[in-house]
Amino acid sequence: MNHRDTKRKGSGENREVGINRQERQETPGESKRSSNHGPAIRFAGVSFGYTEQRLFNEFSLDIAQGEFLGVIGPNGAGKSTLLNLAAGLLRPQSGSVSVLGMDLAGTSRREVARKVAVVPQESFFAFDYPVEDVVMMGRNPYLGRLQTPGRADYDRVNEALEFVDAAVLRHKSINRISAGEKQRVVLARALAQEPTILLLDEATSHLDLAHQRSILGILERLNRQGKTIVLLAHDLNLAALACSHVLLLSGGCQVACDVPDRVITKELVKSAYGVEPIVVRHPETGRPQIMMPGGPNAQVSITNDQ
Amino acid sequence: MRSPVLLLPAVLSFLAGGCGRSAKPPEPGLRVVSLVPSVTEIVYAVGAEASLVGNTTYCDYPEPARHVYKVGDFMNPDIEKIAALRPDIVFLSLPVHRLIAEKLAEMNVRYYVSQPTTIEGVFSELDSVGCLLGAGDRADSLVRDMRAKLDNLPGYPDTPSVYAEISVVPLMAAGAGSFVSSLIARAGGRNVYTDPAQEYPMVDPEHVVRAAPEVILILHPEADAKEVSERLGWAQIPAVRDSRVYDHLDLNVLSRPGPRVVKAVYMLGDMFHSKPAAGD
Amino acid sequence: MRRGGAWVLLLGLLGVACLVSLAVGPGGLPSRDVLQFRLLRLALGILAGGALSLVGASLQGLLRNPLVDPFTLGVSSGAAFGASVVIALGAATSVVLPVAGFLGALVTILAVYTLARVKGRVTVTGLVLAGVIMSFLFSSLVMLVMVLARQPLGRAVYLLMGYLGVAFTRGSVLLFAGSSIVTLAGCGVLMAYARDLDIMSSSEATAQSLGVDTGRVTKVVFVVSSVIVGLVVSFTGAISFVGLVVPHLVRLTFGPAHRRILPGSFLLGAALLLLADTAARNLVPGGLPLSVVTALIGVPFFVYLLRRKL
Repeated sequence: MNHRDTKRKGSGENREVGINRQERQETPGESKRSSNHGPAIRFAGVSFGYTEQRLFNEFSLDIAQGEFLGVIGPNGAGKSTLLNLAAGLLRPQSGSVSVLGMDLAGTSRREVARKVAVVPQESFFAFDYPVEDVVMMGRNPYLGRLQTPGRADYDRVNEALEFVDAAVLRHKSINRISAGEKQRVVLARALAQEPTILLLDEATSHLDLAHQRSILGILERLNRQGKTIVLLAHDLNLAALACSHVLLLSGGCQVACDVPDRVITKELVKSAYGVEPIVVRHPETGRPQIMMPGGPNAQVSITNDQ
Repeated sequence: MRSPVLLLPAVLSFLAGGCGRSAKPPEPGLRVVSLVPSVTEIVYAVGAEASLVGNTTYCDYPEPARHVYKVGDFMNPDIEKIAALRPDIVFLSLPVHRLIAEKLAEMNVRYYVSQPTTIEGVFSELDSVGCLLGAGDRADSLVRDMRAKLDNLPGYPDTPSVYAEISVVPLMAAGAGSFVSSLIARAGGRNVYTDPAQEYPMVDPEHVVRAAPEVILILHPEADAKEVSERLGWAQIPAVRDSRVYDHLDLNVLSRPGPRVVKAVYMLGDMFHSKPAAGD
Repeated sequence: MRRGGAWVLLLGLLGVACLVSLAVGPGGLPSRDVLQFRLLRLALGILAGGALSLVGASLQGLLRNPLVDPFTLGVSSGAAFGASVVIALGAATSVVLPVAGFLGALVTILAVYTLARVKGRVTVTGLVLAGVIMSFLFSSLVMLVMVLARQPLGRAVYLLMGYLGVAFTRGSVLLFAGSSIVTLAGCGVLMAYARDLDIMSSSEATAQSLGVDTGRVTKVVFVVSSVIVGLVVSFTGAISFVGLVVPHLVRLTFGPAHRRILPGSFLLGAALLLLADTAARNLVPGGLPLSVVTALIGVPFFVYLLRRKL
């Protein structure tokens, strides 16, 4: 079976993530979302490349509101690029990216920042700001140039810190806490933006097990509150475990976009990654999980990044 | 002993009563390069210009000196051009020509260091250079002539205090350690900056006002007398009140330690005492 | 941290520095005539020390680099070049000179900005590279001009090393007053961008995702900083070290938030420069170049800071 058939080519046709809509859980917070029932993020015929060779060619994708989408794929597939396009940090060379109906090209950064928050993989802070100040930076989209933060802003910051369980860190310097704590603080900053959509770039890759589980838990809770979450994951199992849908990207093409069961399969993983995994079921949740084939003679076909 | 500096023997021969005793005629074919404008003037003044084969773009007096082959400017003469002239002696100044001096030492070319800081020093230099050029007699008589003229300076009744400014930005003055200061003293003036260790000190405008000079010399082209007089708070300075601020002066005459020092002293004497010129 | 107490201390320090600057000098306490000189010097010192330190702090934030000073972007060399040209032409009156200096600064700003623009965007890296190149270029040109104009090279040193002893005339005082107003306004603009600078200290992408228009902030901070530096340097030459060290000292006391560092740097920079100038004028007859004193004060502090961090 050639799964490349699912590749989107040509213009116009959009496919919504989550074909079986019944699988999507109705969440309590749904009525509080904007009445706009369009997709959270829409890529329409997007072409983009860092060099003359395009990475994305007329790429189209809809991510529905309230999704918890995991994006997986080999190196060079375009996962980070996709995220940056969705956040408006990169502009497509043709086509458009819209968020909640707003075309990013015509929207100011402030407007976008009120709706979309990004949590990068690693954060660099040139100076030793206290954690509290870092989270307060998330209120920037709501503060005028000469305006100082008010009661409401401090409340949001506190709520965000509590949510990620980092309230005790509030007076510590951002450069003096552990990587896991730092990542939670950056997440709190994103939450302080009161975003509808949260984009995370491999937010847990270099963290220890406890922090990975804790952050995943926070994301699951946020999703249940109605936030749309897009998580780029190096670790397929993480995506399969927590996400409602998984997008498998390879060479700037959408290889598959569906519930984890239908994407984390031997054939699809092999076609994208070059290694045929062993697929098992998670004993508690029933989600698919992969394991690497054993032995030094396991078959591997290394595909060059397109 | 690599250094072929000729200063010492020249001074010795001078002390021995000048090298003109044996009436040595100028050596035929002597080739001389002068990197110092004041020494160029001396070369012409003692009549030895035939031996001058090269000088710098700064060497502009007397008029014929402009047409001599140029080896570069004063700050950065070209050692290759100098070497190509195959000079017997090179006149230079330290510290600006230190690198040139080292190269000349390596090439075994004789050089002479010009460093007069007082009028007496200029006279010594006239003698030394004259000796080296085989024009000791001319040098001798020139020096005697200059001394006589200086002795003829009228006895001035007073000694006005003088502020000699050499730059505006930053504000700098000619201190007691500078050559022009010795000219000022000889001309019957008194430099308001009296520390002989200071050649060109940076000065505070406030301090100039306090010092209340009676004469102001503007030794740079950046401001004229009107502008200086209009400086805030300077109206109370005696020199400004009495309109004794002198600008557009011939800076070459005033700053070169060469044969025109007498003219310089008379120039200054006039300005300080408003008496008619009598020299040169 | 006793923040309130620290501000009082800063203001007190500035007050003391002002008094010292006014009172100490040859001839003891000033008479009424001499007072006007001291006051002008005071104004110049406060403006130069304060503005240069504030700009240093802004640029350190913008360029995400604690080793940056107001002259990294080449503006002061350009101003020195403008000044040296009119000196060489013999046209350097008290009004023409600062104007020429400022024009030189503007030329540099334009050159750096143009060099740094890639595909219509000005990035921080681009600015630093372009600034360093321009700085070298113009410094060399200053030396060249001085040589061509037969000026003793010592003067170029003073141009490049700063001084507060300006002999003002009516015209240049008015020019200075106008420049001060513009400079203070510029400092106000920079303070309004304090939060943006805080956020931009992470990375360009992060700042954008937090709603900061990084392109605009970079341009505004660069242009305003450079104009301020151009104005100050055209009167005082390039006073080094205050812009580099003072922001660090303030950061140590107040933390990294720019809403505190910017005004704090202004106050501390003004105070330190006044004290350094008083020392430079009075310790050695003939005066020391200001940058020598600021470096002598700054280096031990810097070493101390470095050791604390490591």
